Amino acid sequence: MGIMSVSKVNHLLWLGRYCDRVFSTVRRFYHNYDTMLEADKEAYIKFCNRLAIPNIYKDKDDFVARYPFDMEDDNSIISNLGRAYDNALVMRDEISSETLSYIELALNTMKQTKEHEAPLIDLQPVLDYILAFWGCVDDYVNDQDTRNILKTGKYIERIDLYLRLGVESSEIQLVVRKLVRQILRTRLPYDEDALDDLIIATRKEEVDTNKALECLDKLLAGVM
Amino acid sequence: MNELRKQTDVVNAQLARYGVKFGIYKNNEFKEQLFPFDPIPRMIGKDEFEYLNRGLIQRVKALNCFLKDIYSDCAIVKDGVVPEEFIYASSGYLPECKGICPPKGIYSHISGIDLVQSKDKTWYVLEDNLRVPSGASYPMIAREICRRSSPRTFMEQEIADNRDYADLLKAVMDYSNTGGINVILTPGRYNAAFFEHSYLAEKTNSVLAVCNNLVVEDDYLYYIDYNNTKQKVGAIYRRISDEFLDPMTFREDSLIGIPHIMEAYKKGNVAIINALGNGVADDKGIYYFVPKMIQYYLKEEPILNNAPTYLPFYEKDMEYVLEHFDDLVLKDVAEAGGYGVVFGNSMTPEEKEKLITMLKNEPRRFIAQEVIDFIDIEIQEGDEVVPRKADLRAFVLTKEDTVVWKSGLTRFSRNPDSFIVNSSQGGGFKDTWVLCQ
Repeated sequence: MGIMSVSKVNHLLWLGRYCDRVFSTVRRFYHNYDTMLEADKEAYIKFCNRLAIPNIYKDKDDFVARYPFDMEDDNSIISNLGRAYDNALVMRDEISSETLSYIELALNTMKQTKEHEAPLIDLQPVLDYILAFWGCVDDYVNDQDTRNILKTGKYIERIDLYLRLGVESSEIQLVVRKLVRQILRTRLPYDEDALDDLIIATRKEEVDTNKALECLDKLLAGVM
Repeated sequence: MNELRKQTDVVNAQLARYGVKFGIYKNNEFKEQLFPFDPIPRMIGKDEFEYLNRGLIQRVKALNCFLKDIYSDCAIVKDGVVPEEFIYASSGYLPECKGICPPKGIYSHISGIDLVQSKDKTWYVLEDNLRVPSGASYPMIAREICRRSSPRTFMEQEIADNRDYADLLKAVMDYSNTGGINVILTPGRYNAAFFEHSYLAEKTNSVLAVCNNLVVEDDYLYYIDYNNTKQKVGAIYRRISDEFLDPMTFREDSLIGIPHIMEAYKKGNVAIINALGNGVADDKGIYYFVPKMIQYYLKEEPILNNAPTYLPFYEKDMEYVLEHFDDLVLKDVAEAGGYGVVFGNSMTPEEKEKLITMLKNEPRRFIAQEVIDFIDIEIQEGDEVVPRKADLRAFVLTKEDTVVWKSGLTRFSRNPDSFIVNSSQGGGFKDTWVLCQ
C-alpha cells in the first residue's frame, strides 16, 4: 500500500461516495424528471422524501432548477459535486492530476450552466465526466489500495441510495456483492459483523432497509 | 508563435481543467482563482542564459556560504563586511539555529531569484527568495499544455525542455535525505499555493502531508500511516514559514507546525528544505551586501548586478535618499509580495513627510533603490499585443552541485501603469523559454 494517513483514507472514501452520490442521483433525477413532464408533476416530493431531503422547492419547476444547480442548496447535486471536488483536490498526489481533472471539468460544467431549459442535456456531460473519472481511476491510479478504497466508498454510497430509493432487491444485492469484493481488498479495518449483517439484510426479496442502513453506518466507522 | 497565440483560449481552458489556481484572501474570505496565463513566452537566448546561469550559481553559492557563516563563526561580521545590526535585527535571523549544520551543509536548496531586465538589456537582481520560493509549477504545467495545444510551435523552435523540474527537485530531496521518505508539508487546502504543493508532490512522488500526519519521537520525524505505522521521514520540503514550523521553539500559537521537529533537525535526523533561518539572507537590507558576500566568500567579482541600492542606515546614503527622494523606490524590508513598496514621485507631500520621519526614526527598516526602467514585454490582450512590465523568477537548485532550471516564472503586470507583477495583486504569468541556440 502507498503511504497514506487516516485523513487521506477518509478523503478517498468520501470522494468515492460523493462521486457516486452525484452520478446515481443524476440518473434517478433523469427518471424522475421524465415522469414529471406529463404524468406526475409532484413526483419530486416523493423523491425528496425518499432521500430525506427537505422539500424546500415551490413546485416542479423550482425543483428542476434548484435541485441540480443551486450552490446555496446543501442537498443539491452541484453541492455534492463540490464536496467531491474538495475531497479530490487534496488527493492530487494519490489520484493524479489527470483523474482529478474530470471532477474539475464536471464542476466547471455545472457552474457554467446558466439556462435550464433542457436539464437532462445539461447534465449529460457531468455523467460523462464522472464515468471518465472512474475510467481514470483504473488507468492512472497506480496504487491498488487507493483504487479499492475509492470504489469501496462508491459502493457504500450506491447501496445507501438504492436502499433509500427502494430500488429492487436484485439490484441492491448486486452492489453488495461488489462492495464485499472491494472492501476485502482494501485491508482497511472494517466491522466484519456489520458486513455479514448487511449481506443478510439485503439477501431477502424484501430488503430490511433500516437494518441495512444501520450496517452501512457501522461498516467503516473507524475511518469514515 | 502565432500558432500558439491562436490557441490562447485552448491553453487557458486546459489550465482550468487541471486546476492551475492560486488562492487569495479578500475580506477574510478564501477565493481560488485561475492564474491568468499569457501564451507569448519570454525568450532567453543561449548566450544570455549562459550569463545568467553563471551569475545565479555564483550568487546562490555565496548566499549559502553566508548562511553557513552566520549560523557558525560569523566571520563576515567580525571582518566588518556586514554590520551586525543587519544580522541580529533581521526578523529572518533565528538565534535557535546558531550552531546547527543542516544535512550536507546546504541551507538554500531551492532559491528563487527575482530579476528584471532594463531597457539597455542589463539584467538586475531585484530580490533573493531563500525561504519557500514558489511558482515553478506554473511554467512547468503551462509548457506541458502549450506543447499539446500547439505542437507545431515546438517542432519549429529549439527550446530547452523545462519539464525536468520535478526530477531536479526530487534529486535535491534525495541528496539531503537522511534516510526515510520524502514529504512535502503543506499548511493545507486553503493556502495560496496549494496547487503547487499538491502538484509537486504528485510529480516528485513525495508524500503530501499536513502537520497532524507527522510526529516527532525520540528525535526522529515520522509520518503516521492509516494503520498507525510510523514511516521515517528523511527529507521534508516544508511549504510553511519558519515561525510556524515548530510551536515548541517558535510561535507557540502555530496550529500548522510539528512540535519538536527542531530537535530532530538539530540532531541531523531530518533534512528541512529549505533550512530554517534562511530569512536572514533574503532580507531586503541584506540584499545590499550580496555583491560584497561574493567577493568575500568566493573571491570573485559579482557577475550579476544588484539594482543600485541605498541603505539609509548609512549617513551618506541617507543624505542621498533625502536629496533624490522623488527618483527612488522605497521598500520596507519587513514586507513582501509587492507590499510596502512606494515610488517617491507618486506620494503626496503628507505621505512623503510621514515616510521621511519613519526613515529617520527607523533607518534599518528601509532600503531605497533607483527605479529601473525595465523593458516591457509583449502580452496578448484580446486580439491585440500590448507591452507590460514583467520580472523573472529564476529557480536555482542546490544538491552536490548548484544548477539553474532552464526556465523560470515570468510574471507580468496586467495594469499598463504598474510595475507590480505579483499574482496576489492581479498579475499574470508566462512561460520562459531558454533557446538552444
